[in-house]
Amino acid sequence: MATATRATGRNIGHVTQVIGSTFDVEFAEDGIPAIYNAVRIDSEKKGVSLHLVGEVQQHLGGGKVRCVALGSTDGLIRGADVVDSGGPLSVPVGPATLGRVFNLLGEPIDNRGEVKTAERWPIHRDPPPVTELSTKTELFETGIKVIDLLTPFVRGGKAGLFGGAGLGKTVILTELIARIASAHGGYSVFAGVGERTREGTDLWLEMQEAKIGDTGRSVIEQTCMVFGQMNEPPGARLRVALSALTMAEYFRDTTGADTLLFVDNIFRFSQAGSEVSALLGRMPSAVGYQPTLATEMGALQERITSTSKGAITSVQAVYVPADDPTDPAPATAFGNLDAFLYLERSISEKGIYPAVDPLASSSRILDPQYVGERHYKIARRVQRTLQRYRELQDIIAILGVDELSEEDKLVVHRARRMERFLSQPFLVAEVFTGKPGEITSLADTIRSFEEIADGKWDHLPEQAFMYVGPIEQAEEQAKKMAAKG
Amino acid sequence: MAKARALDRRRRSVRNIRKITRTMELIATARFKKAMDRSVAARDYTKQLVKILENIASVGADVVHPLLDVRPTKRTAVLVLSGNRGLCGGYNSNIVRQAVAILGQWKSERVDTDVAVSGKRGISALKFRGIDMDERYTSFEDKPAFDAVMPIGRAYLDAYAAGKIDRLDVVYTRFHSIARQEAVTEMLLPLKAPEIAGATTAAAAPGVATSKLASQEYDFYPSAESILEEILPASFLSRLFKCFLDAAVSEQVARMVAMKAASENAAGLIKNLSRRYNRARQSQITGEIMEILGGVEALKQ
Repeated sequence: MATATRATGRNIGHVTQVIGSTFDVEFAEDGIPAIYNAVRIDSEKKGVSLHLVGEVQQHLGGGKVRCVALGSTDGLIRGADVVDSGGPLSVPVGPATLGRVFNLLGEPIDNRGEVKTAERWPIHRDPPPVTELSTKTELFETGIKVIDLLTPFVRGGKAGLFGGAGLGKTVILTELIARIASAHGGYSVFAGVGERTREGTDLWLEMQEAKIGDTGRSVIEQTCMVFGQMNEPPGARLRVALSALTMAEYFRDTTGADTLLFVDNIFRFSQAGSEVSALLGRMPSAVGYQPTLATEMGALQERITSTSKGAITSVQAVYVPADDPTDPAPATAFGNLDAFLYLERSISEKGIYPAVDPLASSSRILDPQYVGERHYKIARRVQRTLQRYRELQDIIAILGVDELSEEDKLVVHRARRMERFLSQPFLVAEVFTGKPGEITSLADTIRSFEEIADGKWDHLPEQAFMYVGPIEQAEEQAKKMAAKG
Repeated sequence: MAKARALDRRRRSVRNIRKITRTMELIATARFKKAMDRSVAARDYTKQLVKILENIASVGADVVHPLLDVRPTKRTAVLVLSGNRGLCGGYNSNIVRQAVAILGQWKSERVDTDVAVSGKRGISALKFRGIDMDERYTSFEDKPAFDAVMPIGRAYLDAYAAGKIDRLDVVYTRFHSIARQEAVTEMLLPLKAPEIAGATTAAAAPGVATSKLASQEYDFYPSAESILEEILPASFLSRLFKCFLDAAVSEQVARMVAMKAASENAAGLIKNLSRRYNRARQSQITGEIMEILGGVEALKQ
């Protein structure tokens, strides 16, 4: 895929057809640009100035190529000059990118002037060979109870946040940035793919305020951000993840530092692919997605990986259309992840945030071999209790709690407490909840859940378990509630 | 598709549950009527017995009888009347709650308690809470027979007379009306003195004046005391029997109401599931049509 940049002189073609966000270009028969080569159009016609970069997707025969526009095709006319750049799109990489905000072309969009780097790397690269992949498996503590207990993240692994519209994927992602990035010595890269532009701005401002540990430096100084938000044409949303990933790969491969990659939202990548797929003449596949859905996702995900040189730990938000996890786009993303959190509407409706479904979420390393026997046992116990509670829910809905056997009543009693105890105040949500964020250590989390499962806290009212850190805070909250009456 | 099919399966199982609950509602209604008739019949007998007691008292006989003695409570007995079956809403759990409360109270006062429980539900619930039971009855259903209740009552009377127990409480569900039943703890031994026992019925009955009037028409032979000797145990037994009858009626009412509510809940759930199923099915069809159309369109080019 990665073709070395070679000096070809100016290889110029002409636009022959424009179809939405794709266009056809005719080159000389012997000068056809390679697939994935970037082509550039700079025209100034009828007072409309157009600067557009496209990417070659198909060779149509007879010197014609079909390209995806990585920007708006407004004002593009047939016959316009198209210059082959001689290689794939490349983005600046290196320490100079830190603290800056880019678009997918690697151009800074934070009005802070040019970014001067020694190197530019092409965004299309091969995934690291199998022999270089890291085989270490280590738990990555986040201080969020539900994540640490049930879906432990892997250091150098990939975690996905699945959820329908408005369940708090972005909030959890922002929270993770606030928690991880501020306690993290390495670099962070954030890719905004097809989400709200406002969220990008919010995040940028927040990162400037957040400090790394007690060094006094803000998180943004160790972070670079790449945005191709929902206002951009599909081509941009299709490639922005690669641009961000390339910048992250540089940190991994050359500095060897632990690098964090946050992607919000990987579904938009698939969606952009499906938007251009039909325009490129591919026959739609299941649910109207592109037939190359799995290939595209695989090519991206395989590059987000840890090697013996350095690690990329990535957290990706994945939108689940119509709350249907069997939809091909989230289903394809799912297979590539080490840990995945499924956000459930019925839980968010109860006012429990993060609305992680403890039964649908899981992690590859929730295994006694990695997390230890004690952690594994209590995690499974919590899941078993909640599973039983869910099974009983229909019966409760029809016959009422009184009809349950004594054992089941106890299960329901504890399950309802566990369910609420899985909520937690977030650092980034302090303005909404009025409660300071809670960072709960894994040891506290395990102990708290063990005590609940053993029935030590059966006497506390359910409400006391909402939005607390370790179990002792639930006790305090119960006392406060009792005092208030 | 998987989703639609799963919803359909769930809907089918809820439908089956509704069938059961609806049938149980009808059965409970029929049983309730019968139990109610028996209870009404027994009520008349009890009322008459109370009246006689009042008359004896009003004659001014100095009522002294061991069953009326209030002794300091050292050893006590508790009889818990619950159901053999579930599916009757809060009936059994209310009883258990009452029972646990009184047993807890005796325990905290360090009084030896003889616990007898009728009904499988109550037995298993108390067992789960680690309460030792001295006697278990599972033979009482919706038609408790006096002959079956009598030996139990006799045993309590004997124990009381022998000083083995100083008090007997019965935990049962009192039947006020179809809309109201409540789990209560009632002290049956020592028997309350007739005046007090009569007070509640007297208020509802024609009044004290008439009963006094009636008493003057009675002659007691050989003596009021010897009649008391006979009538007090009978009164106790009939009151105990009434507890059983009340419990049986209440259970049927509770089941009737609970099953009616369950059938309604199930109907609501079915409606909701049907809506979700139809939506899932429709969106699946739409998806398939879109795919076919998309394919056709793509082949045209």
